[in-house]
Amino acid sequence: MKLSITLILVLAGVLLAGCVSNPPPDQTTVQPTVATVQPTKAPATITLTGAGATFPNPLISKWSFEYNKINPNIQINYQGVGSGAGIQQISAKTVDFGASDAPLSEQVYKNLTGILQIPETIGAVVVAYNLPGIQSGVKLTGDVVADIFLGKITKWNDPRIVALNPGIQFPAKDIIVAHRSDGSGTTFVFTDYLSKLSPDWKSKVGKGTAVNWPVSTSLGGKGNDGVAGILRQNTYSIGYVELIYAKLQGNISYAYIKNQAGNFIEPTLETTANAVAGASQTLPAGDASWSSVSIVNAPGDNSYPISSFTYLLVYKNQADQTKGKALAQFIWWAVHDGQSYSSGLQYVPLPNAVVSLDEQTIRLMNYNGQPLI
Amino acid sequence: MKWNRRKLIDRIMSFLTAACVVVAIIPLLSILYTVTINGISAINLDFLTQLPKPEGEVGGGLGNAIQGTFIVVGIACLIGLPVGILAGVYLSEYGENRFGRMVSFVADVLAGTPSIAAGIFGYTFIVLYFGFSAIAGGAALSVLMIPIVARTTEESLRLVSGSLREASLALGIPRWKTILHIVLSTAMSGIITGALLAIARVSGETAPLLLTAFGNPYWAAGINKPISTMPVQIYTYAIAPFPDWHAKAWGGALVLIILVLILNIGVRFITRKKY
Repeated sequence: MKLSITLILVLAGVLLAGCVSNPPPDQTTVQPTVATVQPTKAPATITLTGAGATFPNPLISKWSFEYNKINPNIQINYQGVGSGAGIQQISAKTVDFGASDAPLSEQVYKNLTGILQIPETIGAVVVAYNLPGIQSGVKLTGDVVADIFLGKITKWNDPRIVALNPGIQFPAKDIIVAHRSDGSGTTFVFTDYLSKLSPDWKSKVGKGTAVNWPVSTSLGGKGNDGVAGILRQNTYSIGYVELIYAKLQGNISYAYIKNQAGNFIEPTLETTANAVAGASQTLPAGDASWSSVSIVNAPGDNSYPISSFTYLLVYKNQADQTKGKALAQFIWWAVHDGQSYSSGLQYVPLPNAVVSLDEQTIRLMNYNGQPLI
Repeated sequence: MKWNRRKLIDRIMSFLTAACVVVAIIPLLSILYTVTINGISAINLDFLTQLPKPEGEVGGGLGNAIQGTFIVVGIACLIGLPVGILAGVYLSEYGENRFGRMVSFVADVLAGTPSIAAGIFGYTFIVLYFGFSAIAGGAALSVLMIPIVARTTEESLRLVSGSLREASLALGIPRWKTILHIVLSTAMSGIITGALLAIARVSGETAPLLLTAFGNPYWAAGINKPISTMPVQIYTYAIAPFPDWHAKAWGGALVLIILVLILNIGVRFITRKKY
């Protein structure tokens, strides 16, 4: 009897020991240095931990993988736990950097003394729908989309939709509205856009990572996947997802949206990049508040109007010189060389104006007043 | 043959129970079937032994997540099994009082709390002071294990007949020896089942690990460091937009099911003769 309790414990112990005592091949072990000649020794592993938005996770994973190839002693561990959780972690200082799809609100910015917001990539949101027999390319305006989500336009053959799309035969069916049920940067961008285009939306609903959806029959889905699932399962539905989901899951149709210049624009990496280039002339400094920054409805003939930055969050004053230096160098690399990996993963590379702004921001990072880069 | 009322009811009830078994088993088989069909193609040697790679790179696997799951679940067992089993012994053998009944009740409530609450426990008491780590993850999982192990141990000990205890005591064996050698020994099969159930339950938990064990794209660097686990890695893969990450999520789910299965069969096999 005693044997078997021991047995279970030993079993657990063996699994544990077996794993720990089996040092992985590519692990640089940290050894206490006896004062000998240093240069031949591999430098100690520096681990940078980050948490936040799920949207940039594939890109940041790619960065950490590539950066580790160039700098084998630096391991970057980023986990997509959500923008809100990311902000909490950086504020509790359990991580070295955070990431958020939405800029910090005025209140949060004030609470996090010395926080820097560094745009690291760009996301676009598409208005997707499921209309049997109708492909991508239905033309919509922000106004009409807002009224659909407000419940003022309830049928697909509403005269306002038909007027925008001569030649398309719309069914006389009720529109099923789909939205995100979880707090989300995607929702923030989408509602930011609707607030800008529709005074009615602004006063009744407003913008945020989660809002009170006015259409009582609307369906909520968790994550981009959840909304995409609702769209697939419900004919005559409309919703919003990240561009990358629409592009990679071929069966999602999406609308062309009217921009500031009056053109209907297909969401692509190029049209989104155009929008950012047009809107990035008037950005605040990296250590200022970004709460009012918005690049939706950007100027430019060929700019797609629903897009936003996503941000890395780091503290200006770093508590650890070695780590702080590694972090500053990594972010510097990410906004320069790292951008070349964007398009392959369906992210929009940062325009030059934003890169030079980021350079200034990264130069603010310091250890005891001594710049880290 | 003449049907009388009793026979008819007997037949109907037998049929109903059989039908309910089928109903209960359909979702289970359907899950197994779907996971196998979708996951089998992702599994190969690299998948089981390599580090994860980012989207766009060929290959890559869950090696570190498998390693991490063993470590975190191992830590959870080291904390959860002794505490759970001893608590169960107390409840059954010494717990016939207000305090014992209260603890039983609390354990039942705890067993029903959402698992994220265990994560909050690990986060508040460990992560905020020592950072993300395998220990924090293991501690969070042990919070989920303890009530299950304690209650199943208690129930199995209660099934041991009183005459057996009395026989032992009558021979002059002290109470603690009776419990250790007679009662626990008789109830061991039930205790092992409870332990296995608890291990299987926590092996698949994602929520308590997200903000305790955190995750890690590299091999485990120690139990005081963030560590990759299968449920978290599967979650990361599943919510990403890439089809080949989805395939890896299915593959990971299948591997996790198989590992839990192997653990169950393994422990049953080792202990089959004795209990």
